[in-house]
Amino acid sequence: MSQVALSREQGIIDQLKTRFPQLVRDTKIDRAKRVTVAFGKEHVLDLATFMRDELGFDHVKGVAGVDYPTHKKIEVLYYAASYSRDEIRDIIVILKTELPRDNPAIASVVSIWPSAHFHERETFEMLGVKFEGHPDLRKLLTLDNWEGPPPMLKDIKFPEMSQR
Amino acid sequence: MTTSANPPAPSITVSKTSVPSTLDVSVGPQHPGSGHFRMLIRVDGDYIVSVDPDIGYVHRGCEKIAEYRNYVSNIPHLERPCIIDAIHLNWAYVLSVEELQDVQVPPRGKYIATIAAEMNRICSHLYWLAINAGVFSGHTTIFMWAFGDRDLFLELAEWLTGARLTYSFLPPGGPRRDLPFGFEDRLTELLDYFEKRLIEYDRIFLRNPLVVARAKGIGVLSREDAIKLGVAGPVLRASGVKYDVRKVEPYGAYPDLDFEIPTFEEGDSYARFLVRFEEMKQSVSIIRQALKKIPRGPIARKAPIIAPEGEATGRVESSRGEYSVMVIADNSDKPYRVKIMNGSFRNLTALPYLIRNVHVADMPIIYGSLDYWPVEADR
Repeated sequence: MSQVALSREQGIIDQLKTRFPQLVRDTKIDRAKRVTVAFGKEHVLDLATFMRDELGFDHVKGVAGVDYPTHKKIEVLYYAASYSRDEIRDIIVILKTELPRDNPAIASVVSIWPSAHFHERETFEMLGVKFEGHPDLRKLLTLDNWEGPPPMLKDIKFPEMSQR
Repeated sequence: MTTSANPPAPSITVSKTSVPSTLDVSVGPQHPGSGHFRMLIRVDGDYIVSVDPDIGYVHRGCEKIAEYRNYVSNIPHLERPCIIDAIHLNWAYVLSVEELQDVQVPPRGKYIATIAAEMNRICSHLYWLAINAGVFSGHTTIFMWAFGDRDLFLELAEWLTGARLTYSFLPPGGPRRDLPFGFEDRLTELLDYFEKRLIEYDRIFLRNPLVVARAKGIGVLSREDAIKLGVAGPVLRASGVKYDVRKVEPYGAYPDLDFEIPTFEEGDSYARFLVRFEEMKQSVSIIRQALKKIPRGPIARKAPIIAPEGEATGRVESSRGEYSVMVIADNSDKPYRVKIMNGSFRNLTALPYLIRNVHVADMPIIYGSLDYWPVEADR
């Protein structure tokens, strides 16, 4: 992939780095149209506001949680993208942050991206990540009588799911 | 005459009875043609004040199961969430796996996948037309017609892939089978027939005054709200946002094919009906072009069993909107994490905003116009 073809992706990274020099920890262009930005969780709201108002990323396609028990961390990924700006609408920016596994908590971005509402509820339920300030953080998918720990954590095992 | 005392008549007091002005009603969990789903609605007389969608009745832990199975064994269960749209669910996952494994599908394989996917889109939209549009608006004729015609496409899909619904047709590397001998001719014949049928559908359903009266201006989602709520697929395009993954990030054979993205500005239930109708016409044109342009050559390449460490997000435009699958690989034969982001789950965000300050009788029409598939959202 030539340098010219990736200039838009690099431009987004440069703008984020200039605005948040301390917050942005690591950046990567996975391939054309995919940018991963690792950031510190403290200023997620500032970052999201900047992404929405200045860069034009007006919605999230999803919020994912990934459990890494060996590193004692849970990663939360926001898939931010744009519908309204033609020049960047094919790019997905994956905002990635690390939370401690024993008490995963982060500010909710629902006030900035209402599209994150159900995705944050799902991540709360599946990985136990507390989204502080979420208007309606309840269980969503599991049974009402499910009392176990969040099922997508790696140490919750379901041997009956294994291949036969 | 004795003055036997009649018991005194009970005194009648008229007082204000306290009837709550609103009432909470549980709708469901029933199976409205697509999977179990419940809405807790608060009604004030005949008006709906608020809705709390209660999902999860058909949650089966697809993402967790995926961590226990190898990359190929994952295909059959990952396409189950929306069996009437199985090719797209399969394809989004396989695009991610192919990116991780760095496997290139030969051009003929891409064309076959594209033809199968567009046939699947027609089948899925016909199912929507029959159940979510036809039955929910009390239109029995379109239910019979659309379901009957969908079966003709399913027969051809079975001939091509070996199954009516759950095809598991696209393992990493390319489709499982080449087009059978004589398939092109029969598919072209069917498309000729189907194009005539679309005109009849238009006459009996879309231009039916009853359907127009019940769907036009009902459940309006403005362009700004559609963007804010991050809805996807036909719901988004009915609100005036021209966004289709087939154009935005072309995959398969779509870069070579010429087609339009039907978009409407109104944002009401009727516009969402129209988008799916126009999409079926575009699918017919796409299949015709693909059949004409399909190159000769191999259909698939061999893919490795394991995927090296990395992360990939593949996405396709499924019948219910953008379908993205994120796969994290850890250099083994099983994925470390699979995350599915689908149109149904994203359109659910819009449901409480649409079903508000409307008549109770408008609820099925709005719900039907979203083409929400509970199993896809619950995974």
